Amino acid sequence: MPEKIIYLDYAATTPVDPRVAQKMAGFLTCEGLFANPASAHTPGRKARGAVEQARMQVAALVNAEPGEIIFTSGATESDNLAIKGAAHFYRDKGRHVVTSRIEHKAVLDTCKQLERDGFEVTYIKPNADGLVEPQAVAQALRPDTVLVSIMHVNNEIGTANDIAAIGAIVHAQGAWFHVDAAQSAGKLPIDLKQMPVDLMSFSGHKVYGPKGIGALYVRSQPHINLDPLIHGGGHEHGLRSGTLATHQIVGMGEAYRIAREEMPKDVTHCSALRQQLWRALHVTVPEALLNGHPSQRVCGILNVGFPGIEGESLLFACHDLAVSSGSACTSTDKAPSFVLRALGRDDQLAGSSIRFSVGRFTTKEEVQTAARIVSEEYHRLQELAPAAG
Amino acid sequence: MSIFLDHNATTPLAPRVLDAMLPLLRGTHGNPASVHRFGREARAALDRAREQVAALVNAQAPQVIFTGGGTEADNLALRGVCRDVPHGRLLVSSIEHAAVQETAEALSKDGWTVERIPVDGECRVDLHALEKLLDGGARLVSVMLANNETGAIQDVHAAAGLAHARGVLLHTDAIQAAGKMPVDFTALGADLMTLSAHKLNGPRGVGALIRNRRVDLVPQITGGGQEQGLRGGTENLAGIVGFGAAAELARAELDARSSQVRALRARLEAQLKKLSGVRIFAEHADRLPNTVQFGIAGYAGEWLVMELDRRGFAVSSGSACHSASGRPSHVLLAMGCDEAVARSAVRVSLGVENSAADVDGLLAALGEITVRRRGAVALA
Amino acid sequence: MPDPFAAYSDTVRAHFRTPRNAGGFAAGHERILAGSAGQRRYGREVEFQLQVTAEGRIGDCRYRVYGCPATIALCSLTSEALKGRTPAEAAGFSVVTLAEQLGLPAEKRAAAVTVEDAVRAAAGRYNAAPAISPAVPQLQA
Repeated sequence: MPEKIIYLDYAATTPVDPRVAQKMAGFLTCEGLFANPASAHTPGRKARGAVEQARMQVAALVNAEPGEIIFTSGATESDNLAIKGAAHFYRDKGRHVVTSRIEHKAVLDTCKQLERDGFEVTYIKPNADGLVEPQAVAQALRPDTVLVSIMHVNNEIGTANDIAAIGAIVHAQGAWFHVDAAQSAGKLPIDLKQMPVDLMSFSGHKVYGPKGIGALYVRSQPHINLDPLIHGGGHEHGLRSGTLATHQIVGMGEAYRIAREEMPKDVTHCSALRQQLWRALHVTVPEALLNGHPSQRVCGILNVGFPGIEGESLLFACHDLAVSSGSACTSTDKAPSFVLRALGRDDQLAGSSIRFSVGRFTTKEEVQTAARIVSEEYHRLQELAPAAG
Repeated sequence: MSIFLDHNATTPLAPRVLDAMLPLLRGTHGNPASVHRFGREARAALDRAREQVAALVNAQAPQVIFTGGGTEADNLALRGVCRDVPHGRLLVSSIEHAAVQETAEALSKDGWTVERIPVDGECRVDLHALEKLLDGGARLVSVMLANNETGAIQDVHAAAGLAHARGVLLHTDAIQAAGKMPVDFTALGADLMTLSAHKLNGPRGVGALIRNRRVDLVPQITGGGQEQGLRGGTENLAGIVGFGAAAELARAELDARSSQVRALRARLEAQLKKLSGVRIFAEHADRLPNTVQFGIAGYAGEWLVMELDRRGFAVSSGSACHSASGRPSHVLLAMGCDEAVARSAVRVSLGVENSAADVDGLLAALGEITVRRRGAVALA
Repeated sequence: MPDPFAAYSDTVRAHFRTPRNAGGFAAGHERILAGSAGQRRYGREVEFQLQVTAEGRIGDCRYRVYGCPATIALCSLTSEALKGRTPAEAAGFSVVTLAEQLGLPAEKRAAAVTVEDAVRAAAGRYNAAPAISPAVPQLQA
């Protein structure tokens, strides 16, 4: 195991909280509540009870009704279900969808698929701080707009959009509003009784729960309809068929319960570490640039651009740090981050930007070591390079 | 604590599978898409599981597409080959699981023509009928390898031959078959095959579609490019590793498991037949060794299931995915049973942790229920 | 995605971590041939300096490099390989072959070509600028 390697990639995925793992183990084997929650017999009904409790726990974190929470295989599926589901169900109302250029691939790729299905999609450019401005949404809306999908917190740079303001504009136009909250749940307060949001995607594994489980909030008042993505069996109000993975659902429920109870503590912890990291980098590498808005943001993500050095070398030099150059889901291709490009960063700076993301289990010592490694390697590579000109 | 006799609905996780999964739920494990060491280790774990699952069905690792479950894999198979091509015909057996049936129905709303392939009274797909239907042309044939209710095993190899002779693709839902009988993707000649982990002592929430790479598929869940771009979303790491471990175990223990449950079922059926009015469905078909679906004349299946549940025996009337619908089994109706007979169905599906005592207990409970009810009827 | 750095052998890693002969000669050095290739905005820039001995052989060399790990490692390995060669031999030195021997993937060919171009540009000056002044004592200690 890589003891030496410091994990600073909580925005890609979080370790499972030990309390969550323990809870999950009780729903798998013969000794546990392993039955199929769809079964009519007693073990099945007990498993169903556990699923419903988890549904309440997820709903409680975001102040929704349990009946408004649909379990899925993850935030990517939630995004697919929300966007394709709403667009297709309401396609007779209009065939225009609005989103932003800095959404997660789950949203962007899904919108591309909608384009092939005959929809028109407007991709809003964020401002230089990485925020989607409510005014830009207003300008993109058309009478035939059926759906707007804007993320709460951007996964690469951590900026937080003004969902309340955007939602009000979307609803005034009579369109539905979907929000990808995979990066914000458990980190920013979310109150769906107050927020003008119709659909919201959640992830288990970004909140110290297991991978392979997520949820979609589907507003009940006013009720929004969706075409299901997965058919067969009519689970989850017919919106998402397939045997419910009890242990996964229970794990997500427990993770969300913990997130709700410990959010103030987590936020204080992560904010302090992020601040420590930025200060340390800023002192040793004064030319380092913060990507994204300085204050309108989530606590755990710090994205920094390092001018004058080549990105792959920087990342390779920092091999002992588990960090990310852009979203993990896109680091398979070498193209510079589309999010940083959208912010107006040039290829060089987009390529030499690093996303650090801290979390519940990160320590001050780890942050200190990470800052030291990055600044040492930065200076080493810079000395190696010819004078810029 | 109930005696669990509903293994076609789901199975308990094998302890060794849990052992394989727990390390992935503890400690730090990366997102398999991340390039750092945590991510790479996660990726290596995925690759190993892919080999294990492929080996269970004699496929190659790159043919395995992991999904969020069997239902999703069935959806991906049908919708994936029908998307972005001109509408045509789909031939679907009349005994398919809801995952295939309802996906086909959804496609028919989109403009596809869906034809049902009939079965005989023993729950076997009628290959002559399939041949005739194929003469009208089709995009895809979907025939399950073993039925979840009766356990009847289908001649998928022959169906694939018929389909291929006319340039038609074949999908087989092997969710119930895998782990209970030898399954050979390559020898069957299927183009697409669905598997599910939780039917073979693996975890719920993970399945796979095995794809012959000649087949063009359009992803149903997009974003992130995972699984060769065919299924977006961060992989269910612990689940997939559990699936791999369960597949390996199932392959190693296949013979032992099937002879164990086959013996238990023989014991059960021998005694069942002594009760009056008992009919075993698809009795003369080649069946999965663990499954028996039967009816007792004059007794509603749902009622028997409830009475057995009260006595601590977890069985079902058919598919768990339909248990809330109140509709009679579409499988039995397709076999030509009338509605009353179809409503009488009780399914017992055995697993490795069951014993002769479990079977005897079930029989005793059944005897008690039927005698008591007869008495009540007689008194009335 | 497998490790994007998996293609980097231990040799490449070692030379990336501790590049040999990095830097530049102090001003005033005689018989220095300098050449460069690549552009930073395209992700790669290499400057090579070759110091030629009185005997017309490369006695030492230095380089500065901006680029991916492969570019850096290739500069380091090339700098070692060039010593003792004549400028004409240096101009014909195939960094592309070196890259292949190191098992670098095909997409790193451009890195090798850039290093090769920089070396060739430097070595090419040997005849173009016949700064050979036998009167000047050899600087190499």
